Amino acid sequence: MKKANQTLIDDLTEDLQPIRPVRASHGALWVAGAALLTIALVALLLGVWEGVTSATASPFFFITNGLLAALGGAAAWTVVRMANPQVGNSAGPTLWSTLILAIIPASAIITQAVHGGLGEVMTDEHGLDCALQGTAFGIITAAVLIVWLRRGAPVSLPAAGTLTGFAAGAIGTFAYGLACPIDTLPHLAIWHCLPVGFCALLGRFAVPGLIRW
Amino acid sequence: MQQDEPTLARLMAAAQTGDRAAYRTLLTEVKRWLEQYFRRRVAPQQLDDLVQEVMLAMHNKRATRDTSRAFLPWLAAIARYRWLDHLRGVYRSQEQSMEDADFVAPGEEDALYARLSLDRLLVQLPDKQRSVIDLVKICGLSISEAAARTGQSESLVKINIHRGLKRLTSLVEKAN
Repeated sequence: MKKANQTLIDDLTEDLQPIRPVRASHGALWVAGAALLTIALVALLLGVWEGVTSATASPFFFITNGLLAALGGAAAWTVVRMANPQVGNSAGPTLWSTLILAIIPASAIITQAVHGGLGEVMTDEHGLDCALQGTAFGIITAAVLIVWLRRGAPVSLPAAGTLTGFAAGAIGTFAYGLACPIDTLPHLAIWHCLPVGFCALLGRFAVPGLIRW
Repeated sequence: MQQDEPTLARLMAAAQTGDRAAYRTLLTEVKRWLEQYFRRRVAPQQLDDLVQEVMLAMHNKRATRDTSRAFLPWLAAIARYRWLDHLRGVYRSQEQSMEDADFVAPGEEDALYARLSLDRLLVQLPDKQRSVIDLVKICGLSISEAAARTGQSESLVKINIHRGLKRLTSLVEKAN
């Protein structure tokens, strides 16, 4: 049986201890640490491609990876803020970043389909390897965000899961992208951008059960 | 006396530093606010349980209150979250239905309250989903009674409840 309201108030008051507030700025530092650790791991395990260090990679390479970093940052920031529930919270920045990033695979698919090169891109022998490695490097960010959300009080669990997937996939793929020497638009669009959508889908179904409170 | 948002925010900030007197005052006000908040959207016999669940949740998650932001939207987000959990768990109530009960409509009808209210969530649903959630989850009717009342088949009532709750889950933090 539930305690009477006044008894509950007495008990909760008695139980009160000073606490350290969960601050979004701390969460942002956690994510920044996870992203740096991921980049360091990629550099250590795979090495950074010289096209990056000498700035000779194609413009598509820098545009795609820049957009992946922007999406990762926007999604991660939204997730961090979801630990502090609030009527009025919005995932607007992530939505816009996702739409902008989606232009790349959409353009690639349309142009390749028109010119008959889609089959060649889909059978790219390095493609699946890139997609899997990018996704795998996202695990560090995903773990950090899940721990952060468990400390907090997320109230929009499916959205938090989806955005965790977006953030982890985008940051992992961005970091892995620094080691990938293939800088053509079709490869980047299909094998670096589309897996981020897969990560979001995975997050939508796998994460809510881990952060429910 | 009903406390205003700045006062509640100040009491909460003091509570986060361990001020028990402030916390006791805050909890008393929060209880009153929650009773008003849920009154039209929960069967009367379940009101106390739900208010207590939210107060416990608020206590356990008090670290997540961001002192740079307003207090009531934070409390309302937790209240909506627990209310949806409550709706998912409630089927037919064997006790007094809400329709038979006397209740007082919320007195606080200012802009902030309206923005945070549960009605603001429910109006986002299509009529068919809203009506069956209202009948089954809030008023405590059985699936067959709700089907007879709305003219929907029993399986459609179940589907509409499922879809409606899913939609509400995605709207917990929505303000407009």
